[in-house]
Amino acid sequence: MSARSLFIPLTLFLVLGFLIGPFLIIVAASFSGGETLAFPPQGFSLRWILKVFTVESFRASFGMSMFLAIGGTAAALMLGIPASYALSRYKLPGAEIVRTVVSAPIIVPGIIVGLALLRYIVVPFQVGITPALFLAHTALVLPYAVRVVSASLDNLRSDIEEAAVLLGSSRLGAFFRVVMPNIRGGILSAFILGFVTSFNQVPVSLFLSGPGVRTLPIDMIAYMEIVFDPSVAALSSLLAFLSIGIVFAAERFLGFSRYV
Amino acid sequence: MFQNRAEALALALPAAFFAAAVFLMPVAILLSDGFRNPVGGWTISAYTDFFADPLNRTVFLRTLRLGAIVTVVSAVLGYAAAFAIVNLEPGTKGKMTGLVVLPLMISPVARTYAWIVILGRTGIVNQALQLVGLTDAPLRILFSETAVFVGLLQLFLPLMIISLISALENMPKDAVPAARVLGANWFQVFWKVILPLTKEGLVIGGTLVFTGSLTAYITPAILGGSKVLMLETLLYQQVSVSNNFVSASVIAFILIVMSFAANILLKRVATARNKQRVPQ
Amino acid sequence: MSDAPYLSLEKLTLAYGDTVAVANLDLPIRKGELVALLGPSGCGKTTTMRAIAGLLPVKSGHVRLDGADITRVPANKRAVGLVFQSYALFPHLSVYENVAFGLKLKGMRGTGLDAKVRSGLTSVGLSSFANRKPAELSGGQQQRVALARSMVMEPKVLLLDEPLSNLDARLRLEMRTELQRVQKETGVTMIFVTHDQAEALALADRIVVMKNGKIEQIGSPEDIYNRPTSSFVADFVGFENIFPIEQGKMKTSSGLIDLSGPAPSAAGLAWRPRMVTLGSGPFRGTVRGTSFAGDSREYLLDTPFGPIKAEVEASQPAHALGSDLSFDLPAEKAAPLSRFA
Repeated sequence: MSARSLFIPLTLFLVLGFLIGPFLIIVAASFSGGETLAFPPQGFSLRWILKVFTVESFRASFGMSMFLAIGGTAAALMLGIPASYALSRYKLPGAEIVRTVVSAPIIVPGIIVGLALLRYIVVPFQVGITPALFLAHTALVLPYAVRVVSASLDNLRSDIEEAAVLLGSSRLGAFFRVVMPNIRGGILSAFILGFVTSFNQVPVSLFLSGPGVRTLPIDMIAYMEIVFDPSVAALSSLLAFLSIGIVFAAERFLGFSRYV
Repeated sequence: MFQNRAEALALALPAAFFAAAVFLMPVAILLSDGFRNPVGGWTISAYTDFFADPLNRTVFLRTLRLGAIVTVVSAVLGYAAAFAIVNLEPGTKGKMTGLVVLPLMISPVARTYAWIVILGRTGIVNQALQLVGLTDAPLRILFSETAVFVGLLQLFLPLMIISLISALENMPKDAVPAARVLGANWFQVFWKVILPLTKEGLVIGGTLVFTGSLTAYITPAILGGSKVLMLETLLYQQVSVSNNFVSASVIAFILIVMSFAANILLKRVATARNKQRVPQ
Repeated sequence: MSDAPYLSLEKLTLAYGDTVAVANLDLPIRKGELVALLGPSGCGKTTTMRAIAGLLPVKSGHVRLDGADITRVPANKRAVGLVFQSYALFPHLSVYENVAFGLKLKGMRGTGLDAKVRSGLTSVGLSSFANRKPAELSGGQQQRVALARSMVMEPKVLLLDEPLSNLDARLRLEMRTELQRVQKETGVTMIFVTHDQAEALALADRIVVMKNGKIEQIGSPEDIYNRPTSSFVADFVGFENIFPIEQGKMKTSSGLIDLSGPAPSAAGLAWRPRMVTLGSGPFRGTVRGTSFAGDSREYLLDTPFGPIKAEVEASQPAHALGSDLSFDLPAEKAAPLSRFA
């Protein structure tokens, strides 16, 4: 084997090590028996994994993040599905403007969205922390919802709706009877993508979080600034396996990557 | 295509109105703050003030510099990795692509946190350096530009590799053998054949990496701290420490202009590619 | 079959936005007729069909069906069936559920529903495919499901969009027979849209040729095939030698030329290649191209009138490229055209 033919695979090996390695180290560190975060881990124990479940603030912020990811994504889909339908099936006046407006939050850095929302919506209108986070996460997920649902609508022939109408269905009935069942995979994929995006999101929530009301990633950052024990590593591993599991299942059963 | 305009608007307007009210308007007002003269009228003095401060200039240039370096390094590593992956057997290719995508599903907090374990005073890198005797005392790698660079590279390299994989796969199969037969060496093959044919993938990947690095918050916050500020972390500091909303607005405007510029470039390259596909 | 129209389009004008696609169209159709709307793409035939179905709002004019004005009746209340070109089967439903879809919306349930669906599937020969999904069927089978799905609704009018265009030659013949059988058995009024003259000629009782949103000619297949009334229709059904007539003479690129016989009073004359006499006659031409088509041979002649296409039986002696021939365009065989576009 020549030097060149070795060079390329070797680079791939190193790159993959660089990309995956840190994750493996985190996983290993979460099973450490020691008091501080270190690698190689000192001994083996499940104490840090178990401790994650007992930290009160983690439980609260996990609940908050779940609520935002599920509720915000559901709200984004409720706004996004009709909009995608209008964009894909109707001759909509100003369609390009609508498309740009609903997908704009993806382009603007999250920290700016959060700050703008705080200063010009939350403070002047006295919006509570939870509703404010909810609004922000919904706006953040909306572009993904519209993009993924639009893609699956565009893959579906539009004459089946006309066929349903000619067989006696109303327009709305046709949507629920023949469109929805056929874009279910796309909607579920949009939900998963939105969920993961929202759950992992930090900058948007940065300014909007308040005393006692935090999302989980922000809580993790706050925790590791104070305590240098492996519990954040343990929590990170758990979350990573959770999201890999979800995405893997989605790919297996839905062909997730077709839509994203 | 349905013709009914009222129906179409009724379906599309809630989402458009929501995005406009919750996102577009507040951001627009925020951006306009940086141009508002306290005594009335408009001014760009906030911008001249901002750039007059050497600290701000340092942060601005650092953000650009780190963005550029991360983009260039990820392009170099990305080509090697993508080239290796597309030449694999189909089954292995899928698995390797999966491994490249895998980190994207993990929370950026977790991914960044790992580097504390690796780069910290008692981290693996320092242990290794002391073991081989390159250094006596642990080096301070955390809270340096190097740490931020490594973190950003790990965060965004997958996006570059994925873009380049699809660009390389869309390249005509015979282009490289044809160039070799015509007598090109490997350097010439890359420079004259592969690079021009995968330029769009490189630009798309590059834009994603560059805007990503520009607007990343978690990585500079955790790995850079207040020692290595970037525009995003500076913005956060201006708001939460100094209460300087005008300065925050200026930074926001700079960030948005830079991301928009990158995105417009991305769109232009994408449409140029679509135009090339002329139906037979 | 009575002579009073069952379905009639009266001064129908249809538009997409400000673009008028069909203008002032009048078309009476009798009960039980099988009518073809024939024309090139953009002629307004599909637009007209969509308006009959109620999928496109009518700009002005009226659509009457079975004595009632249905111009403003929504598509789901019209009792008009449509077999789409793509078949538009519901991909998530089985063949059985596709056929049952409309019946269920009518409120049918239980054994009545089941019997009706089964008989619908049997009539198109697909009773053993009831549990399959559309994706598991061939194109021809999908089309028959679409036909059954529409027919079980007992529509007053059945519309078909390019019913044979997606099928291969063998299936075309099969489907043609199938459609004619369904039409004879149920007596349903059928209108189908096509750009293929052969399809229209083979299937229809009456053909409506359309051009630029207007009716160009209405007639039986024999009428359309043998007696086109305009140069457009003549060209569409295979008359390849078409000339305008002025002062009883044929107008060509090299001036007015006398015909061999007395010219009929018409705006133009049209000859099929087969109608051209080769080897005798007052005119001369040079063979520019020739092609053998099994039982016949085609020639392209360079003549004083411009290019002429002629076709003769293959049993006749062949003429070589470049040879000089005499020929005739016999006036008595030509189709007289009343309009020359």
